[in-house]
Order: sequence, then structure tokens, then C-alpha cells
Amino acid sequence: MSAVLREARFLLRDRGALLWIMLALLLSVAATGFGIAEVRDQRATIAELLVEDARDRANALAGQSDWGGAAYAAFHLTYAPPSEFSFAALGQRDTAPWLHRVRMLALEGQIHEADTKNADFGLIGRFDFAFLAAAVAPLLLILLLHDLRGQERVAGRHDLLVATAGKPSRLWLPRAGLRFAGLATALLLPFWAGAAIEGAGMAKVLAASALVLGALALWWLIIELVGRAQASPPVLLTALVGIWLALALLVPAVARAAIEASTPVPDGAEILMLQREAVNGAWDLPKEATMRPFLAAHPEWEPLGEVTRPFEWKWYFAFQQVGDGQAAPVAKAYREGRIARDRAAGIAAFLSPTALVERGFERLAATDTAAMIAYEDAVRAYHGELRAFYYPMLFRDPPYDPAVLSQLPGYTPAQ
Amino acid sequence: MTPSLEARSLSLVRDGNVVLNQVSFTAAPGEVYALLGGNGAGKSTTLLTFLGFLQPSGGKVLVGGREVAADIEAARAQIAYLPEAASLYGHLDAYENLSYFLDLAGRKVTRAAIDAALDQVALPHAARTRRMQAFSKGMRQKTAIALALLRDTPILLLDEPTSGLDPVAIDEFHDMVKALAAAGRTVLMVTHDVYGACQVADRVGLLRGGRLVGSFEAAEGQRIDTETVHAAFAEREAA
Amino acid sequence: MNTVLLIAREEWRLWARSRVVLVAALIVAVLLAVTSAITAARVGDEAAKRTARQASAEATFFAQPDRHPHRMVHYGHYAFRSPPPLAAFDPGVDAVTGQSIFLEGHRQNTAMFADTRSGADLGGFAALNPANLYQLLLPLLLIIIGHGMVLRERESGTLAVMLAQGQSGLAIAGGKALALAGVAALFLLPVAGLAGFSVAAGEAPLAAAILVAGYALYLGVWVALVLAVSLLVRQRSVALGLLVFAWLLIALIVPRLAINAGSAAVDAPGKIESDLVMLAQQRALGDGHNAADPAFDALQKQVLEQYEAASIEELPINWRGVVAGYSEAKLTDLMNGYAEARMQKEAQQSRIVTLFGLVSPTLAVGASSRTLAGTDLATHHRFLRESEALRFDFVQGLNDLHAKALTYADDAARSADPEAEARTRVNADAWRLLETFRFVPDPATQRVARAGLPLALMLIWLAALGGVIAVGARRLRP
Repeated sequence: MSAVLREARFLLRDRGALLWIMLALLLSVAATGFGIAEVRDQRATIAELLVEDARDRANALAGQSDWGGAAYAAFHLTYAPPSEFSFAALGQRDTAPWLHRVRMLALEGQIHEADTKNADFGLIGRFDFAFLAAAVAPLLLILLLHDLRGQERVAGRHDLLVATAGKPSRLWLPRAGLRFAGLATALLLPFWAGAAIEGAGMAKVLAASALVLGALALWWLIIELVGRAQASPPVLLTALVGIWLALALLVPAVARAAIEASTPVPDGAEILMLQREAVNGAWDLPKEATMRPFLAAHPEWEPLGEVTRPFEWKWYFAFQQVGDGQAAPVAKAYREGRIARDRAAGIAAFLSPTALVERGFERLAATDTAAMIAYEDAVRAYHGELRAFYYPMLFRDPPYDPAVLSQLPGYTPAQ
Repeated sequence: MTPSLEARSLSLVRDGNVVLNQVSFTAAPGEVYALLGGNGAGKSTTLLTFLGFLQPSGGKVLVGGREVAADIEAARAQIAYLPEAASLYGHLDAYENLSYFLDLAGRKVTRAAIDAALDQVALPHAARTRRMQAFSKGMRQKTAIALALLRDTPILLLDEPTSGLDPVAIDEFHDMVKALAAAGRTVLMVTHDVYGACQVADRVGLLRGGRLVGSFEAAEGQRIDTETVHAAFAEREAA
Repeated sequence: MNTVLLIAREEWRLWARSRVVLVAALIVAVLLAVTSAITAARVGDEAAKRTARQASAEATFFAQPDRHPHRMVHYGHYAFRSPPPLAAFDPGVDAVTGQSIFLEGHRQNTAMFADTRSGADLGGFAALNPANLYQLLLPLLLIIIGHGMVLRERESGTLAVMLAQGQSGLAIAGGKALALAGVAALFLLPVAGLAGFSVAAGEAPLAAAILVAGYALYLGVWVALVLAVSLLVRQRSVALGLLVFAWLLIALIVPRLAINAGSAAVDAPGKIESDLVMLAQQRALGDGHNAADPAFDALQKQVLEQYEAASIEELPINWRGVVAGYSEAKLTDLMNGYAEARMQKEAQQSRIVTLFGLVSPTLAVGASSRTLAGTDLATHHRFLRESEALRFDFVQGLNDLHAKALTYADDAARSADPEAEARTRVNADAWRLLETFRFVPDPATQRVARAGLPLALMLIWLAALGGVIAVGARRLRP
């Protein structure tokens, strides 16, 4: 205890160390603040769109006179709201879409729409807490700890200090430990405050904190091992920055390139082309060619499946679904390829503490690839519900009654 | 009486170079032993082996009759070490430095005791609350000596303790070392100052190229003859 | 001048003997070489693939059978954004934005299937390309090599000797600057090589040259920063710590904070959001598929007057086609208005980000590099605009065909009468109206003009640091 007090007093007089710690605090405040602002902005957008969406749908349905027309005209908003933890890691939300407006047409033509954001954002990336904790914090720790011994050696104090302390650990452990604790506190306090404001769950906050502390402890160990070398502080710092570069930049980049080369994903444009050929080709084919595969998938409509006129809505929507079906193998391969890549990335992340922390945060925040795919799955499921709602109307063709449309299924995001 | 410090056929090889070669000497409580030698003779290296920073390649070093390697911590606890050109923390004042280092050694010392030690080394009162980066070399050395005094250990290892001190302060320092020995402490100092060594030491060992090449002892009630030692030192250096 | 060269040569000799310097330089050189080769191969491959896709999309369009022209409006077409030659050095936003757009009637689709969507997610900056290495890694190398330039002389006491010999502080600083600039120049060779390669592949020499000059300027800024710190700071470890910190701030933190600031300062609505607002307006325009929509009453009156006809049946042209063309034009106006507003908001955000180049030369060089390479946001916007023009042209061409090659009677009866339906099928030769599309970025002069601002920001940095160095060198004391 007295060692802690002694080193605390010592730390308070060390302006250099205090500067790094204050900087960490400021950066953490900035990262958390911007993160919360962005998440609130996204929630506000969703709230606004929900209102607009309902109004637009009402407007679109108002002029309709048959079920098919209603199904054609009505769009439905689907969305993945940011979790209470997203403020700490915006993750894939900057590059993957989390908003769609879908209708009864072929889904493959709609679900890949990207709700474009400024491309520079995705390219440069945001300064969120996950980035701070994963990439910047280790560098700050290196700056804080790399010359703990070396600086004393240069000043000619090293032997006196150790001889006086008797055991090296009696000196270095509390000295490095306090700096470590100072940095960790400076990083985590704003994060905890942000989590409290956003109402993030205790378990997630604890897990995230443990992740940050664990990764920083690993870096501490690295710094400790390198710092024992009898080299001058500049050489030590050079070596440590080199290790940081390797672990934070090179390993993830090489791993990523390797994964993408070894796990091919079908070209996404392929899905669209297949779907488009199928849907457009259907116009020129006999109605039979569409209805046969459709009825094979939906035997319940077999008795009502005959198309007699050149244009019928049930046939129109049937070929939309058949078009989806034609693109399904490629779409499935695309989805599975992404999952496989993500799984491989999860394993590769164990080679890089930086990647591990970022991925860990993204998983906690549900802003990782898996969450984005889960959202797409939810959109697919919802689109299925829409079909299930409309098909009875289209095949049985009861008299058009707008009141029935008030029972249209609504999209509820997963929590 | 068991000698407090003993080197027994101490040899040390570093990076393939023989730094110490079969060095043997003892220093008993109440005794001042001076290791005299030129640059690279192995003087400071000898001190560092007593502190356990370097491991002997052959022979052994003992502190208080026990081999240092067996319990480095126990050895260090008995020793106050004054490194060459000791610099304490520049951003702390003398009080803060001393209490930091004493705390590190696990000693609780009152402000009055610190003042007493600083009085003993004659560090002016006005300087004591100033940051040490403003200190002269002599003032820094005085503060470091005060630290060694405050450690209150049975053994003192002094590495070129008088470098940077003015002649008056050197004399005062020599008196202080003698007084410490008289009080029963063991003092081992290394120096290249022939005159200072002869002034203060009971015995002088001449170190050259890692070998103890000469040993001089004061006759009862007398100092070691400076001329003799100087002649030996000069001859050996020339060799 | 001779002294300057002498000092520089001494520095080079020292570095050539330092293991740390050699190892670091070697690692960076190997990384640069490997990354350049891989990126050039990948981008070249990608360019060939997309050009082939573009051609095949056109061939598919031409190969469609005889059919109703409006069917072709919905059949649609694809536009691919082929990477320009300099993308081999700086792929820019290519990975983030989709590379292809599906073009069809009545809709502006987004560019889909960005690489990042199917990428293996390994965190923040997991993409390696030559531009990134230049922007992030080379400054670190210059820091590691150069931080002790003046300090080493000071610590070993040789600075006092040099000054006592009558060498001026300015000459010493000049020599050190030359020494480090020499290293920087050596490391400019790979980008110069890639630039030459791109010129051979058809890039304008002007853009390639200015791109290299931009990186020279950027490395110059870092040389100046390293020298300034080495001149002004008194301890070597402090200098290195300070420079690493400056790097952290300039290369990693400020760029991202600039993104946060840009996103917070300008609220650019997403496409879905602005589409929703637009839809409400669009409904007021009328449904182009429904020629009886009352929204077309005024048009009908005007067209009847123009052809002196009493009813739409008497018109010499197909009223349905007229309506389709009319409503497409109206709708496109509306969509372009929204798209334009959205792009301008994004451009505004990016301008804010670029202005942060005043704080971070890394942002400035990134902006100039992407602009000159033709891989910046503005070029992507150009792609969006051009592909939209392509879309509008072929859709309107088909609508014109719809109005002139079909009779209203057949067109109206085709849902019920198979013979009328057969007459509404237009000969497939007509699909040739689709123009071939090969995307190319803005001409070099325009790109250079656009890169002026970030280049100027770097010049400001260089001038300011030069001033600091001059003052520091003149006051140089041992």
C-alpha cells in the first residue's frame, strides 16, 4: 500500500506521464461523445422515417383498387436500430446498410440496396471508443511505459533505485502499475459515463472493460519484456512501435488479404443479374413456366394456380418469387461466404490484440458482420411474412377491402 | 570477526572480456577499504557484484558472511550505495527525493532526521526545497550522500564519492567517512584519487586490468603513505 | 553549400552503419514493394474484369429479343465503375462504394456490393495499399531515422565542436534537412514507378506527376517536422516520444475526428430517407404506367392541341409512350434534384474533412492523392451522374420508341389481345440505341485543380515548419 502511495505521489509530479493520461481522457471523452451523438442521430432518423413511412404507405394505398396494386405500391420500412452499446463501436454500420424499404417485388433486387453514406466515412473510419481502446491506447501505453527503466539508466539512477529497493519488482511493478491504472481509468471513465447515459447493460460494460484491460495488460507484458533489454529508450521505443505496427496494422491486413483470397465470395452483381434475367424473362415465357416452380414451392395454391389472362397479379408476384428462387443459390453462397470469412477473421483476430478488441466491441454492440447478416435475415423473414399475407388475397381474390390492409404485418426489429 | 564484505577469488567475464580476475579482499566493520585504479580497472564492476547486479563467473562475493547470489535482497538491505555522479530526480526537491528513496528502501524517516542528515553534509537550508535540477553537481552529490547516511546500513559502497565536490567539501566528506567507520560501519569506496584514498582508507587495494596488483595497509595510528601508493599506481599504469 | 553537403554525407554514412535504421528501412522498402506489386496486380485484374462486365452487359442488352420497348425499360442495364490506372497506387473509395449500378426506368438505384460488405472484418485499418503505407508508415520511418539528427550531435558534444569551428546553425540544419530529404526522395521511387506505370496504362502524365509531387510535399512536411523537433528539444527520448505522439495525432486521430466532425456538422440524409421525402412529391407527378392518371390532364390538352387531334385515339403517336417519356423526364428531374442535394451535402462533409488538413497533413495528402488518382468521392459522384445520364438516355430512347413505333390501339389492347401484343413488339435492332459506356474520371486538369486546396494546405505546413527551423537553427547553441 505504501508503495502505491509513494508511486502515486511520484506520478503526480511526473508531467510527461500526466500529459499522456490527460490526453487519453480527452480522447475517450471525444470518442464517447461523438459515438453517443451519432447513435442518437441514427435513432432520430429511424423514428422520423417510421412516421414518414406510415404516411407514405397510407398515401400509396389510398389510390389502389385491387390487392395486386396494393402489394405493388406499398413499401415497408425495415431497420436495425443501434443497440445501447453501439455508441462505443459503430462498426459495420458505417458501411453496411441498416435501413431498407421493401415491397412485394423480388427481394434480391431490393435487399442489396446500400443506403449510401459518405464514402470517405467508410474509408477513413470513425474515431469511436473501440478504435481508441484497440489501436490508440496501446500506443499511449507504450509511450507511457517504454522508457521507465531506460530513462533511469540514462540518468544514472537505475542501479541506485534497484539497490535501494532491494528487489526490482518492488519498484517497477507499482510504478508501471500506477501508470497502467491511470491510463485505463482515463480511458474507461468516460466510457462508463457514456454507457450509463445510454443505458447499456452492466454485463456488456463489464465484458468490454475486461476486454480493454486484458488487451492493455498484454501490451504491458510486451513492453515489460522488451523494456528489459539493455537498449537506449529510443531503440526500445522504435522496437515497440514496430511491434505495434505489426500487430495492429500488418497482421490484420495480411490476415484479411489471406482470408479473402482463400474464402471466395461470389460476385454480388451476379445475384442481381440472375434475378433480373429470371424476372424479365418470365414475361416472354409461357405462364406455365413460372407457375410450375412456384406451385411446387407453394402446393397450397395449386387449386387456384391457373393463369388465364395475359396479365394477372398472382402470376406477376409468382415470377418475382421464382426470380428470387433462381438467384437463391448465389445469394446463399454470398451470405455463407461472408459468414465463413467472418468466422475466419474471428480466428485470425487472435493474432492481433487490436483486431480482437475491435471485433469484441463490435460483437457486444451488435455492429459486427454477424449482426448485419442477422438484420438481412430478419428482412428476408419479414418479406416472407408479406408474401404470406398477400398470397391468399392474390390467389383467392376476395373483393378488395382496404380495411384488411390495416392488418399488414409490421416489421419489428430484433432486440 | 566476520568481515562484512569479502571477495574470494572473484572473477568476472563479460562479453568474452575478463573484467575481474581472481580478486580477493575483505573489509571488516569499522574499516574503510579503498579500491584504487584507473579507468576500466574493474572498480565499479566490483561494487556492482556486491550489489548482485552482476554475477561472478568464478569465485564468490559475500556480504555479512553470506554469499550475495544466495539472497540478493538481503545483501542489498545491508548496503547503502552511492553511485558515481549520483543524480536524484530533477523534478523533485531534496526532501521529496530523500523521502521517495527512503520509502523505496522501506524506511520511515522523520523530516527532522532528514534535516539532520542534510546538516551533516552541509546542504544549505534554502536549497532543500528547490527542485534538484537547479542543483550544482556538488549539491547533488551531497544530497546523495545524505541519502546513504539516512539509509543507516552497516555497509556503505561509495563509487567515486568525491567527484564534483570542492576541496573543502572533500575534506569534510573524508572526516564523515572516518566517523562512520569509527561508529562500526564498513565502508568500501572505489576511486582513482590516490590522495583521497590514502587520506581516508585503512587499507588500499590497487586494481589494474581486473587484477588486484597491490595492497597497502596503514601502520598503527598512521595514514598510508601517499608517495608509495602513487609510485606503485604510476608504475602499474605505465606498464 | 559545401558544408551542407558534407554534413549530409556524414549523416548518410552514420545511417548506413546503424542497424536500427537499416532494418527499419529494409522492412518498409519490402512492404512497399510487395504491396505495390499486389495492389497493381489486383487493381489491374479488377479493371479488366469490370470492363469486360460492362461490355458483356451491353452485349446482353443488344441480344434481347423483339419485345415491347417498356419491357426493356424495366429490363435495364448495368454501369460499372472501372478503376483508373492510378488506383493501382491509391484505390481510394473503391472498396467502400459499390462498383456497379443497375440502371432501370423510374428509379435511381445505389451502387451495390461494395468490397467492404463481404470483407473479413479485422478492425480499423485492415486494408494495405501503397497509398496507406506512404501516408502512415513512411512518416514513422522518417521519425525513427531522423529524430536524433541534431540531438545526437548535442548529446555527444560534437555540436559544440561544429559550432566552434564556425559552421552556422543554418548550415547544420540545412545539411541535416538534406540528409533526411535524401532518404525521403529514395522512398519516393516506388510511387514514381507506379506513376510511370500508370502513365503507360493511359493515365495523364500531369495527374501522375502532381500525385508524386503531393507525396514529395507530404514527406517534406515530415522531414521538416522531425528536424524541427530534433532542433528544439533537448533530450533524445523526449524528441522521439513527441514525434511518435505527433504521428499518432496527425496520422490516426485527427483524420477520424475530422470524420466525426464532418458527420456531426453536416447532416447528409441517407438515400432511403431522402427517397421517402421524394416519394410523396413523386406521387403528385402521377404514375407513368397509367396514362389515365389525372396528373396528365394538362399534358394531354397540350399534346392534343399540338397535333390538332380531338382525342388521344386520333393522335398520330402513341399517347402511352408520350406519357411514359413525359413522366420519366419529370421524375428524373425530381430524383436528380434530391441526388444532387445529397451529393452536395456529402461533398460539404468531405470539404470539412479536407480542411482538417490544416491540422493533419495526412488528411491533406490523402485528399490530394485520391483526387489525382481519380478514386475520390467526387469521382464516385461523377460516376453516379454519368451513369444516371446513361440511364436517362436509354430510357428516354425507349420511351420515344414507345411513342412512335407503336399504335395507341395496339398498346391499349395488348393485355387482352395476343395479336395486338405481337404488334407491340419492336424489332431487337432498336436496342442499339443504348450507348456504350466506359467510365473514366475527370480530365487531369480538373483533378489537379481540385487537388489544389489540399496541396496548398501542405505547402502551408512546410512553410510554417521551415520558418520554425530557420529560427531554431539561427539560435542553435550547444
